[in-house]
Parts: sequence; structure tokens; C-alpha cells
Amino acid sequence: MDNQTTWQKIWAWIDYRGRREGGIGFILMRLTAIGLVVYLLLHLTMLTNLARGPEAWDGFIHLVEHPFFILADAVLIFGLLYHAINGIRVGILGLGWGSRLQAPLFWGAFALTVILTVAAVAAIVSIG
Amino acid sequence: MWIWQAITGALLLVLLGVHMVAQHFVAPTGLRFYTDVVAYLANPWIFALETVFLGVVITHALMGVRAIILDLAISEKADLLLKRVLVVVGVVLFIYGVYVTGMIAF
Amino acid sequence: MRTLKLRILRGSPTLGRQYQTFTVTLPDEANIIDGVEQIFGHQDHSLMFRHACHHASCGLCGARVNGRERLMCITPVSEFPDGATVTLEPLRNFPWVGDLAVDVKPLLQKMDMVGLPYSREDELADSPEPGNRFEDCIECGLCMSACPVVGSSTKYLGPAPLAGLARLIQEPREVDFSKACALGKSPHGVWRCHSAMECTEVCPSDVDPSQAIGWLRRFYTFKKK
Repeated sequence: MDNQTTWQKIWAWIDYRGRREGGIGFILMRLTAIGLVVYLLLHLTMLTNLARGPEAWDGFIHLVEHPFFILADAVLIFGLLYHAINGIRVGILGLGWGSRLQAPLFWGAFALTVILTVAAVAAIVSIG
Repeated sequence: MWIWQAITGALLLVLLGVHMVAQHFVAPTGLRFYTDVVAYLANPWIFALETVFLGVVITHALMGVRAIILDLAISEKADLLLKRVLVVVGVVLFIYGVYVTGMIAF
Repeated sequence: MRTLKLRILRGSPTLGRQYQTFTVTLPDEANIIDGVEQIFGHQDHSLMFRHACHHASCGLCGARVNGRERLMCITPVSEFPDGATVTLEPLRNFPWVGDLAVDVKPLLQKMDMVGLPYSREDELADSPEPGNRFEDCIECGLCMSACPVVGSSTKYLGPAPLAGLARLIQEPREVDFSKACALGKSPHGVWRCHSAMECTEVCPSDVDPSQAIGWLRRFYTFKKK
């Protein structure tokens, strides 16, 4: 409302109380969006590192082999997959189709996200 | 703008898929070593792909940033300024990304 | 009969806020609004709430029941086990008057902006302009409360007005909708919706605002009805 602070406005987006599938889906979509923008900037920074030559690249690879980064990678993959797969759902719903199926579509998208994340992390761990 | 968000999103489904598959499954050693990265990026098709991918992802990301900020009911004047800032940021990020990739590859 | 504890948000913008719990015993076929009225009639005459028809037609008794937007008159007490605590709070995204009462004027003003003044033709016999009411919508405001974008933007038209606009374009009935159409296309119209779908889920009248907003987007993009 008119006399809201910015934080109150942002809280309106992420207040999960009383939310169902679509509302939770929106919260996750917004959070993954912000996370991915941050990641994009980090990724471009990483590219800068690569431009510094083989030693810098090897140092970077050594860093990201640490278990913390494997976990961070898992979170990134989950976020990316969720944003992409739910993005398809949002695109369809946003054009006015399938509104009656929005809850099962959310669960389908979420399940697919989890399955693919587990597969991707398993691949990372097995290659490492 | 929403339609373009949907279009760039759809393009990213393809481009990101190709980006991941190419880098982690097609490229030798999954680009673990510096020499493999240079050889990978020096391929003109790959360079073109990565450039297009970078452009599309920056567009999608910054349009998304604008959408989130618009949800805060900013004024028309602030929206105009925001659009200009985001265009400049987008162009700078794109040029920087292509420049650095080019430096590594060639 | 069942006994419920109704934990109600009390207070006002000037008095502050706190929860107060009342115990009510109701027949199994009763609805939550009956419990609220029992409190008003026999326990606390200062309780503020809106109600009228008691059959989901007036849209006045909207509130958050355990966090979820509902019409209290069609929320059966049988949904809750005997002895359960049910939290009642006012709708979100409207100016809070006090206790369970909110000021729904922002919704009515936005309905007016899209060409749907809330007064009906039979109520304004001597009015120069007939009211053009959006048939299914009872203007209860549940969708506006549930919408996360309405929560952050007073400029966003919101689910009910946009659904009303879609209906108006589909069936104009000699109303000039060009100005309203422009509003819907503005940055604070259909493009602010992010398909959270909560509006459709909470609507007690089957309006499906999210589907209507999608229709409007297709209309604006492809210019076909």
C-alpha cells in the first residue's frame, strides 16, 4: 500500500504463509531469478580469471573441487533447472492456458527439477 | 516486454542445453585444462554460439531485473532511467564478455 | 456440535495489533462467520468485521483463515477438528480499518477505472449511466489479498479489475473500453502478473482471473478476441 517501505513490499513477495503451489512457485521463481543474476555476474568474473592464463585457471579449478563448491554447484543446478522448467509452466499459464492444471504442473516441474538435479550432481561427483 | 522474456527464455532452454552438453560432455576432459578451454573457444562455431548465448542470457536477466523493480511501483521517470541504465549495463557486460572470450580464444 | 478456538487479530493502525482467542461452540453445519457472530453477540461487542448475505453473494466477509483467503460464510467449521485453533486475520493489501475489517475502496476504484462501476443498474434507477457489472465477480477482494504483486504495487490493477477488463472487451455492451484497454496494456496492467495463480485458487466465484489475464495478453499481442 502507499505508505509501505521497500522491505514491506519485498516481504509481500516472499511471505509464504497461506501460499499454495502457485504462490510457492512464484517465490521460488523470484529467488532463483535473483540468484541466477548474481551467478551470471560471478560467471563473467570467473571468465576474467580464465583470461589470466593457465596458472589462474588451474588455481580456480582447484578451488571449485572443494566440497563447499560441489554443494554450491548443486544449489546452482537446482535453481537453474527450477527456473527453466517452471519458466515453461509460467509461460503457458501466462498466456491463459492450463490454469486448472496449475497445481499438478507445479508438482511435475518440481519433481523433474529434483530428479535432474540429483542426476547432475551424481554426474559431477562421479567425474570428480 | 513479457513476450520477449518468454522468447528469450525459450531460446535459453536450447542455448543453455547446448552450452552445458558441449562443455561438459563433448569437449575433451570437460574443459578441465586451460589448453582445452582455449581450443574449445577458438572454434568459430563455438565462439559464435557462446556470443549468442551471452547476448540472450544478458537480455533475459536484465529484463527480469526490470520486471522485479517495476513490481515496486516506481514512477515513470524512474522507469525511464532504469531502462537506460539496464541497456548500458547490458551492453557493457556483453562487450566485456565477448572481449574476454576473444582474448582467451584468439 | 464442535468447539473451536478462534484466534483473531485485534487492533487497528492506531491501537496496534495483538491476537485474542475466543472459544465458540457451533453446530457441525455452521460456518466460521457464525463463530465470529457468536463472539460479537455474546463475548465481545467491539469486534469489527464485515458481513451481510451469508451465502457468498455479497463478498463482504473475506478474511484470512489460517493464512488463506476465504469467505468466512462458506468456510465450514467441519473442516477443523473439534478443539482446533483457527486463526482469523484481515485481508492483505487493503488499508486496515480494525480487527477483521479492511477498506476495499482501492479495489472498487480500480474496477471503476476499467469501466466497471460497482453500482448495479437496478440500484441506480435515476443514474444517467447504467452500471456495467462484471457478472461472476462479487468484488470480495480475496484475489487482491492473495496476489503478491498487489502486495508490492498499489499501481498494479490487480486480478479482479483485469479479469473485469477482459470480460468487458469480450462483450462490450456498447461501453467504450478504449481507455481501459490502454490501462491494461500499461506497465501496471497485465504485464505485472507473474502467474502466481493465487487469485484463481482463492476466488470463491470461479472467475479465474489468471486465465483472463492470459487472454488479455494474447489479445494485446495478437490483437484477436
